[in-house]
Amino acid sequence: MPLQLAAAFLGTAAFALLFYVPARHYLSCGLTGALGWGCYLALQPALSAPEAAFCAAALTALLSRIFAIREKCPVTAFLISGILPLVPGAGIYWTTYFMLTGQSAEALRRGVETGKIAAAMVLAIVLVFELPQGLFRVFGRRARP
Amino acid sequence: MKQDRSEALEIAVYAGIILLQSGAEIFRVDETVERITRAYGVESCSSFVLSSGLFTTAGNQQEEYFAKVRHVPLSGARLDKVEAVNELSREIARGQHTPQQALEQLRQIDTMPRRPAPARLAASGLGSACFCLMFGGSLPDAFGSFWAGLLLYLWLMAVEDKKLSKITTTLLGSAAATLACLLLFRLGVGQDLNQMVIGSIVPLLPGLPFTIAIRDIADGDYIAGSVRMLDALLVALCIGGGVVLVYTFYYRLTGGWF
Repeated sequence: MPLQLAAAFLGTAAFALLFYVPARHYLSCGLTGALGWGCYLALQPALSAPEAAFCAAALTALLSRIFAIREKCPVTAFLISGILPLVPGAGIYWTTYFMLTGQSAEALRRGVETGKIAAAMVLAIVLVFELPQGLFRVFGRRARP
Repeated sequence: MKQDRSEALEIAVYAGIILLQSGAEIFRVDETVERITRAYGVESCSSFVLSSGLFTTAGNQQEEYFAKVRHVPLSGARLDKVEAVNELSREIARGQHTPQQALEQLRQIDTMPRRPAPARLAASGLGSACFCLMFGGSLPDAFGSFWAGLLLYLWLMAVEDKKLSKITTTLLGSAAATLACLLLFRLGVGQDLNQMVIGSIVPLLPGLPFTIAIRDIADGDYIAGSVRMLDALLVALCIGGGVVLVYTFYYRLTGGWF
């Protein structure tokens, strides 16, 4: 678990560089990714993958909005990097793999699950972005006098 | 006065194009165009923004008529430009720049250099290795993923400025990453080929189009959102296609799975 969290932090920060996020935000990007992935892992034993993805994506979106206000930067910078661990890349791979090796039932199961995870993430992000901006103002830093 | 108005629109549209090209949401482009034109005293501006184009007009009984249409091809993420334009538009709204200064600043933002190649290569490799670990790969697997992810990015950089379609780029990229993993695996690197491939295809994942699509659709920009979502879906299919390509060849050549 600690290794996975560290990997999520580093991995997200590395992709933030590839998306040309300005360097001063790497820390917050990494943190967003690591906490989102941590949430997913922690919930995984109790909930199904789409449910866990929903909660994790909601947390990621919340953190992104908070960091966007704190660091005065478009929310996209944090959201895109932070959401990457949750994007079901493994799901895409396994669906293809089982389809290729002739295990159609398993391929279908994986494919549907991948779709469900994506849908759950959509739902979570939409919900969090409907929250009024005023709620997040408390996280803003006051301008230096 | 007429000169000033068209200049204001010129600047606003330029800012909008940079944003659109760099992966900003539709509402941000809309808002920025509006903010800049207002700051320079054009009240009648209205714009219609799609993910692949920008249409702006201004004019009423008091103001001169003016229109501008620009096509903007979909391209990769340059969040540094998004942030810079965003910041600049706020400064313009506070009245800190004359039109000439603003235009000069925008030109600078537009030509912002790319990050140095070694840094991006290393980041791609590191990212792949980390994601391999996250999805349950072991350290040797991550080592394999590192080199495959690095090689994949080398390919992406080689075609960066060429006019190669995204479908071809992704398909061949995914195939190259899979092939690299397969070769490394046969050479004895790593324990689980599946985990290695999963890690190494991460730089291709459509995280940006997916996220922007969700935000656009949530804002009611359905056309732009659908275009982005289709983009994300196609990229996902192409990633799968690349894996299939290499695995099938391997199967036919060796007569067995790994």
